[in-house]
Amino acid sequence: MPLETILIIILVLLSVLLIGVLVLRPGITATRGGKIMAFLVLFALPLLCMGMGASRELENSKSTRFCLSCHIMEPYGKSLRVDDSQHLAAAHFQNHRVPADEACYTCHTNYAMFGGIKAKLGGLRHIYVYYLGKPPAPENIRLYEPYNNRECLHCHAGARSFEEGAVHAADPDLLPAVKANKVSCVSSGCHAVVHDVGSLKDAKFWKGAD
Amino acid sequence: MLSTSPLERKLQLSGILLILGLVVEALCLLGHGPIAFIVFMSLGGLLFTAGTLVYLYSLVSPNVKTPKQ
Repeated sequence: MPLETILIIILVLLSVLLIGVLVLRPGITATRGGKIMAFLVLFALPLLCMGMGASRELENSKSTRFCLSCHIMEPYGKSLRVDDSQHLAAAHFQNHRVPADEACYTCHTNYAMFGGIKAKLGGLRHIYVYYLGKPPAPENIRLYEPYNNRECLHCHAGARSFEEGAVHAADPDLLPAVKANKVSCVSSGCHAVVHDVGSLKDAKFWKGAD
Repeated sequence: MLSTSPLERKLQLSGILLILGLVVEALCLLGHGPIAFIVFMSLGGLLFTAGTLVYLYSLVSPNVKTPKQ
């Protein structure tokens, strides 16, 4: 468990203890000191605890482990370890082109304003469908909207390997079209193999760096 | 267990709601899945908001004198 979480839990327990004292002996709030204590214990401390806890939970919700904790996402987690550089997600994950512990969030968050909030709302929808709806089979899961090149360009735009890559530079119209989101990075013939969870049973897997 | 003074009773109620909210928070921080996240944000947030509102209301509500005072 991360140290930050342990510290928040200690602060929460301390707050519970102090609130417990006030609940058992509310008479102490009659004095000026007691009123100040009540403000700190019944307002300031819980607010601090909830703020820190919410921040920790939001941070945790970006982790790869969080996303893969749903059974339906297991094949997608497996696809990150496919031993084939043509698999876009696997190549990014294994070569640390995205932070390995926030791999899903890094590619599947919207890099526009409120992108994080949109991603969280999308996550709530996933949970609704998973528990209350009819979740599709993993290979039938589709994005809510076509993948926007903006998410790729967030890291790749301006990078020499991207701007001067042989295929990218061969057609002078290609990069402007990609940057304008008119030609998708994941279109057929380009980087079309992303997770490809339908073909995992025949794939070879990378065992990892450890 | 609850005090006879309305002000103190509100403070106790606020405290109980906040304790429940904080316990929910601590338990959710121990988990790492989406359910922990949802429970934290909904149940924990609800109890915390209710506890805080009861406390704030106790500050602005009319202070009824108890027989002792």
